[in-house]
Amino acid sequence: MNKPPKVLVLIPCYNEQDNIVQVVERLRATCPWADYLVINDCSTDRSAELLRSHGYNFIDLPVNLGIGGGIQCGYLYSQRHGYDVTVQMDGDGQHDPAYLSAVVEPVASGRLDMCIGSRFITHEGFQTSFMRRVGIRFLSGMIRLLCGRKVLDVTSGFRATNAEMTAFFARHYATDYPEPEAILAASLAGYRVGEAPVVMHERLGGVSSISAVKSVYYMVKVSLSLVIDRLAIKRSRRGK
Amino acid sequence: MTVQFQAYMLLGALVLLAIIFVFLKKGLMTVKYSLLWLGLSIVLVIFAACPYVVFVLRDILDIEMPVNLVFLLMFCFVLVVLLSLSIAITQLADKCKRLTQENALLEKRVRELERRLPPEDRRGE
Repeated sequence: MNKPPKVLVLIPCYNEQDNIVQVVERLRATCPWADYLVINDCSTDRSAELLRSHGYNFIDLPVNLGIGGGIQCGYLYSQRHGYDVTVQMDGDGQHDPAYLSAVVEPVASGRLDMCIGSRFITHEGFQTSFMRRVGIRFLSGMIRLLCGRKVLDVTSGFRATNAEMTAFFARHYATDYPEPEAILAASLAGYRVGEAPVVMHERLGGVSSISAVKSVYYMVKVSLSLVIDRLAIKRSRRGK
Repeated sequence: MTVQFQAYMLLGALVLLAIIFVFLKKGLMTVKYSLLWLGLSIVLVIFAACPYVVFVLRDILDIEMPVNLVFLLMFCFVLVVLLSLSIAITQLADKCKRLTQENALLEKRVRELERRLPPEDRRGE
């Protein structure tokens, strides 16, 4: 690749008034070469106001779509504006823009179609709670069983996709808890999915979107969707 | 089955049919969604008007009470209607999601275009 790839960073934002400004500022300071787009998923706090007053590049969803629908909107935007690489990065400060290039590089160089920033390769930084690690292990094993792809950090929302993968996700992307499903769907459709080591932080403030009560529901739902996806999507080899 | 009971059955089925027609006429229901309901009420009218059909079906399925057959069939019908509603809701949710996304993208474009206008032509906010 001769000229540097056009990179867009999608930052989903739902009630992140405590973090969003800091996250965007840190991204702009660390990676001035990347464009960014904040997706305000109909926040009920002052997020939208902050985005407007700081003059950030953002879209404002008129109704709450959840993380899947919001990110898909970002993929649509990216597709229409012709970005080479689209990165998804959480709006709560867990993902460090210092590792942006580490996640972008395998995709920009054409080695992978989707690269996931994984905290479980080097085991550095915030490793999340024990129970969540068990859940992630389980989903990881399940994905490996269903499509043969070994991905460690299946719930990581720090991921880069190339233009083709972005277009695929703009067409179909799971709605509620899309991260593990997206890996399976991409793998089954014949895209190359891999991981890059990153270091994550604990969220800066506010509360996570997945509470303890919801996690059992989350596990059941994601497991079921994975099995259904496996049955519904025909495996294809994209000649690569 | 007494004549009285049959008369009530017939009345009930006809009322259901009439209600569906009123809904259709008032535009509260589209033909697409009314078809199943129309089917149900017509079958009920047939059952009430000529119970012979029910007796024959009962003998075929070997169900003791004819009225149980009617209940069973109605339950199955309601299940089908509910399933079709779940499908309809899913499709509507998907369309709604797409519309929301397009709307958000358009809103951003409008916002950016408006910023280029002289201040006196700007609207909103």
